[in-house]
Amino acid sequence: MTKAYYEFFCPVKIVAGNAALEHIPYELRTLAASRPMIITDKGVRGAGLVDHVLGAFAESGMDVVEIFDDVPPDSSTTVVKTIAKLYRDSGCDSIIAVGGGSVIDTSKGVNILVSEDGEDLSEFSGVGVLTKPLRPFFVVPTTAGTGSEVTLVAVISDPEKGVKLPFTSYFLLPNAAILDPRMTLTLPAHITAMTAMDALTHAVEAFTCMGKNPISDAYAVSAIKKISENLMTVLNTPDDVDARLELAQASTMAGVAFSNSMVGLVHSLGHSLGALCHLPHGLCMNLFLPYVLEYNLAERGDIIGELLLPLAGADVYASTPASERGRAAINTIREMRDELYRRCKLPRSLSETGKVTKDQIQKIAEMALDDGSIIFNPVEVDLADAIAVLEKAW
Amino acid sequence: MIRLQQLNLGDLNVGPLKRPYVALMMDVIGRGLEAASQVDETIQREVRKLPDGFMFDMRALPDGPCFVMQKDGDSTLSYIGSTAPRKPDVSLKFKHLNHAFLVLSFQEGTARAFANDRLLVDGEIAYAMKLVRCLNRMESLILPKVVAVRALKRYPQLSLKEKLADGGRIYTRLVKNLVWG
Repeated sequence: MTKAYYEFFCPVKIVAGNAALEHIPYELRTLAASRPMIITDKGVRGAGLVDHVLGAFAESGMDVVEIFDDVPPDSSTTVVKTIAKLYRDSGCDSIIAVGGGSVIDTSKGVNILVSEDGEDLSEFSGVGVLTKPLRPFFVVPTTAGTGSEVTLVAVISDPEKGVKLPFTSYFLLPNAAILDPRMTLTLPAHITAMTAMDALTHAVEAFTCMGKNPISDAYAVSAIKKISENLMTVLNTPDDVDARLELAQASTMAGVAFSNSMVGLVHSLGHSLGALCHLPHGLCMNLFLPYVLEYNLAERGDIIGELLLPLAGADVYASTPASERGRAAINTIREMRDELYRRCKLPRSLSETGKVTKDQIQKIAEMALDDGSIIFNPVEVDLADAIAVLEKAW
Repeated sequence: MIRLQQLNLGDLNVGPLKRPYVALMMDVIGRGLEAASQVDETIQREVRKLPDGFMFDMRALPDGPCFVMQKDGDSTLSYIGSTAPRKPDVSLKFKHLNHAFLVLSFQEGTARAFANDRLLVDGEIAYAMKLVRCLNRMESLILPKVVAVRALKRYPQLSLKEKLADGGRIYTRLVKNLVWG
């Protein structure tokens, strides 16, 4: 008798496709909201992406009441407090986050303060501290990678105390994620590649690590298929709306998968490398993915082998003996990375980044052991193991 | 009606011996960790990196058995008991007594309990990971290999000295702590 057990939860409404942004006013009304505030950053606004969202409110009988466009790359309690005051002073009743991870986390923090009528965000830090639904909250992602639009966590630094405050609650999940291809259409090639590899890693780790379950597996496999079939198309023809939408959907699906089954050693190493060497998260994922899969291969060969189908297609899968599919899946990812390096110089190794020194390996490995995702890696990892993977990735 | 009473008493899912078993094992693990931190260098290295006065507990929700530990000195942990004098810095919480029983009867490993959403961390994750490593190390030292492999993802390579001499010293201290408190 199996003793398997899992949980799966994703109440986020996915509003995806052509003219998806124009659904926002209607969706806000269904939640009895009519005075939204947009939270974004300078880069997103400068790229004209907020204009697409504002344009969606024309002829809708509803206006955006306030825009805050100065979210810094790292969310902080100070900024959250400033935005919450603006929200209250302007009489807003809902939030639309337009951006990537930092904008989304900041918006989650703002939503906590304005919904709980609080001033000190640290009072709400921790697991399950929030006990009631927050204000209507929509997310419009502007990259196809993080999956933050469907996750129930936020991490916001408190500069006064010098700590990062974690927040985990089902009430942090947005009411809706709006996936409109216009929002990622102008994303440069290297960011498109990096974020796609971030999403691919979310899906691969969700499928191969200890928290895997049948429902998140379905999301993970579909996400991998969409990325492997559409990433090169987007790089060849960046204005291909359909392929852009496929990548955006893949990112969200990978987000749904990993937020329900967690991730493993690629993320443990990637979080540490990112923190120490200030490299983008997606790049870190690209660096470590094949090496960690090799590390897990002996234990998870069959499971990794199943990924050959969404990665390389039915013909390759059918012509590869079952015992070789795991290795072949890893090789397919390696080929994908080689192609990305050829097209947009996305580094494949620590040395190719030019920003990591060999003497940092020990520190990266030590930090990785303290990362929460390491516990979900199917194979135990000690310091020597982590160093060995990092040296292979050198 | 009888069935309803049984359900409300929890007779169907939690046998009468599970709570005392979990309470006993919490006590054993707490005192075992205290003893192991006095003997084993690997655990001492982990404890050394915890802040001074660091306190943690492991409990079964909502009001099940619990053990509380505190960093004592530079590299050792001391067993406080089953009540925390203040909010612990890290709390490892089983969602239900039955989930604690699964782990403490070695039917489910700690990592599997996390992956199955049965065990929650309240507090700094990095410290929780150090504690999990300390617990794993203690289990590998004091449990027979045939039991420890059920609790751990990988049974470590231990020298004869570590398994017999250090394991023996931990056992002696553990028994002493259990008998004399």
